[in-house]
Amino acid sequence: MAYKMNRRGVVAGLAATGLTAPFLNTRMAAAQSGPITLGVVTPLSGPVQLIGNFVRHGAEIGADYINSNGGVNGREIQLQFRDSKANPNDASVAARELIGAGTNLQLGTISSAVALAMGPLLQSEGGVVITSGAGTEKLNHENYNPHVFRVGDSPVSRNAGLVRHIVQSRPDIRKWGGIIPDHEYGRTTWKIFEATMRKAVPEMTGEEAVIAEPILVPYGSGDYRNYIQQAMRLDVDGIYTSVYGGDAVTLYQQAKPFGLFDKIDILLDSANEFLVATAMGDQTPAHWSGFHWYYEANKGNPLSDDLYASYVERTGDQYPMGWAAEAHAAIMAYAKAIEKTGGSTETADVIDALKGLSFDSATGMRHLRAEDNQAVKNAELAYIEPSSEAESGFEVTDYVSLDGENVVEPARPGEMLDLSAL
Amino acid sequence: MIDYRARFRSNLAIAACGLAAFAVVPFVANSGLMFLAGLVAINIVFGMSWNLLFSGAGLLSFGHAMFFGGGAYAMALVSLHWPGLPFLLGLAIGAGAGALIALVFGVIALRRASGVYFAVLTLVFSELIHLVITKTTFLGRNDGLVGIPRPTIETGLFTLDLTSATAYYYFIVVAMACAAFALWCFQNSPAGRLIQAIRQDNLRTAFLGTSIFGWQLTAFVLSGALAAFCGAVMVPFTQIASPEIAYWTVSTQPILFTLLGGAGNFWGPAVGAILFGAIDYGTRAMHGLSEITVGTLLLLVVLLIPGGLLGFLQHRRQKKRRKPTEPAPKRTEAQP
Repeated sequence: MAYKMNRRGVVAGLAATGLTAPFLNTRMAAAQSGPITLGVVTPLSGPVQLIGNFVRHGAEIGADYINSNGGVNGREIQLQFRDSKANPNDASVAARELIGAGTNLQLGTISSAVALAMGPLLQSEGGVVITSGAGTEKLNHENYNPHVFRVGDSPVSRNAGLVRHIVQSRPDIRKWGGIIPDHEYGRTTWKIFEATMRKAVPEMTGEEAVIAEPILVPYGSGDYRNYIQQAMRLDVDGIYTSVYGGDAVTLYQQAKPFGLFDKIDILLDSANEFLVATAMGDQTPAHWSGFHWYYEANKGNPLSDDLYASYVERTGDQYPMGWAAEAHAAIMAYAKAIEKTGGSTETADVIDALKGLSFDSATGMRHLRAEDNQAVKNAELAYIEPSSEAESGFEVTDYVSLDGENVVEPARPGEMLDLSAL
Repeated sequence: MIDYRARFRSNLAIAACGLAAFAVVPFVANSGLMFLAGLVAINIVFGMSWNLLFSGAGLLSFGHAMFFGGGAYAMALVSLHWPGLPFLLGLAIGAGAGALIALVFGVIALRRASGVYFAVLTLVFSELIHLVITKTTFLGRNDGLVGIPRPTIETGLFTLDLTSATAYYYFIVVAMACAAFALWCFQNSPAGRLIQAIRQDNLRTAFLGTSIFGWQLTAFVLSGALAAFCGAVMVPFTQIASPEIAYWTVSTQPILFTLLGGAGNFWGPAVGAILFGAIDYGTRAMHGLSEITVGTLLLLVVLLIPGGLLGFLQHRRQKKRRKPTEPAPKRTEAQP
């Protein structure tokens, strides 16, 4: 019987072939000696996309660095990106999909809510995630999960370090207020700020700190004017804020015409690095910001120099931010851990290897504590001021790098953060 | 005259094919794809629950996420705070939460508004529910509730262990099949036809002695309960309930499914949900492209085939059937 091929048959055949393609199990297809695939689940759309882009570049530069230096035991690192949209629901779907496709080693989480959701999920599905900036203290305390690692500084190192440095340099500022995002990360940072300030001010000055109730602002709001008006009514000398990403840019821009920054003596920003400054240029209010990585503070470190040069070459942007270094550090940690396992990328082997691992990064050597999966690394802070001379409209006029061992809290996995120990 | 038996048989055949396709997924696909297939199964019934209102009762809801989120959060609370309660009771509480939300807001909205004003009111109520979730510590505020366990069902005769993703996937398929079957039965019952009559001509139906408000409210509550049931079933699968599932973007999903698949057909939302899932999966590594693709497709469907994909296929089939009775056009050979 002759078989006649017609257009409809060809189209149906192609469609059927296309439909079966996703059903191929890549875990089965992947050879032990083939490339190592790492999943990067990070916000690549929405208001936090600009932070996600740093994660993307940092991870790609880290992978390129490893690959151009012979890979991991000769194996190349490949990256699979997924958009977490900065919400736990989409992130968990993406993480499961990646694990199902054989990509059990992941990184890129920057949202605290997402990082907290990942623990139970990865435990049940058999994966590992290294966060690239999630700031909740619960990760290495009451919600500690062996499948989640943080290569960045703990919120205690960052915020307690920032507060202690400010109290030492400006002991005259005792009245503080706060503008805090109403979610996990915001509440964490405020808790640490308040506890450290209440302890450090009396230690330094012998007087009590006066701290107003924080102003809680919603995530992703386009209008902060009501909250700014509330802040204008506060009798404070300094304001601490942990609003981040595009929200911070909106908040700062809207606060400027109200004269909020002229009213106060000091502005502390927990994490925005150059984010606000690059958006506002010479309109940037003078402020201290915490940094995951400030390249000037790490000049001479080959990894830092390569990260900075590669980032500028790729993007033309002169101001890379620390999230890039955290994703970069996650790649370095995985590479070192897989080397330690002798090439195994199995979840249990990689977890064992990551625990207690010391590895080099753009901020120098980091050590992942075996007890609570928290990295010990230095905390970096910089003072950003508007400048009429700088092309960008702002410049860094001071920076500090605090030794990680001195600012990190003791490991207490499974237990709440002891604020009295800050 | 409509042959209901034949209609039942043909729909049963479609459902059996769909069930077989979903049942086969764990054998041929990896666990990530199986997870997405489970979400598609839930989305199918979520879309159908919206279409019960739209094509059934003629009510346009822009706030279906409030039911979905309500059911999901009710189930999450039961699982986390009252783990001793039977799982099926948790599902009933979830569906009941949706029905209660629908009853409260339905009484207000249906009395006060109709048409587009009703749609806007549902959007407002939905945003209210979302806001309440993000401000309530008990509900985890913006962070949501995580670590929701998967259940083990004790029947007395045997124990059904649904703690693995595959076992729970099969539970989803069965639960969604039962829900779709119940919905089909309702829509084809005298009550379902009465609701459709209200959509076609509410004045004439009221003249026959029917309480328009009462039946529209019934449809609203049933739709809310079904959407909430979907949310309640989903939560142990994803093991997380975050405020995004009660956000307005989730309310747009059943509308997209229905418009893509075809609002005039019972299986329209199913086709739309599967297509939507396939696009989402196909564009997962192309960030931002998923939304653009779905938006473009929707625009094309609305402009070119307003009846959706199934409406288009139905139209083509009817056209084909009509053709043989028409005289064949004379073939004109090209002149050399």
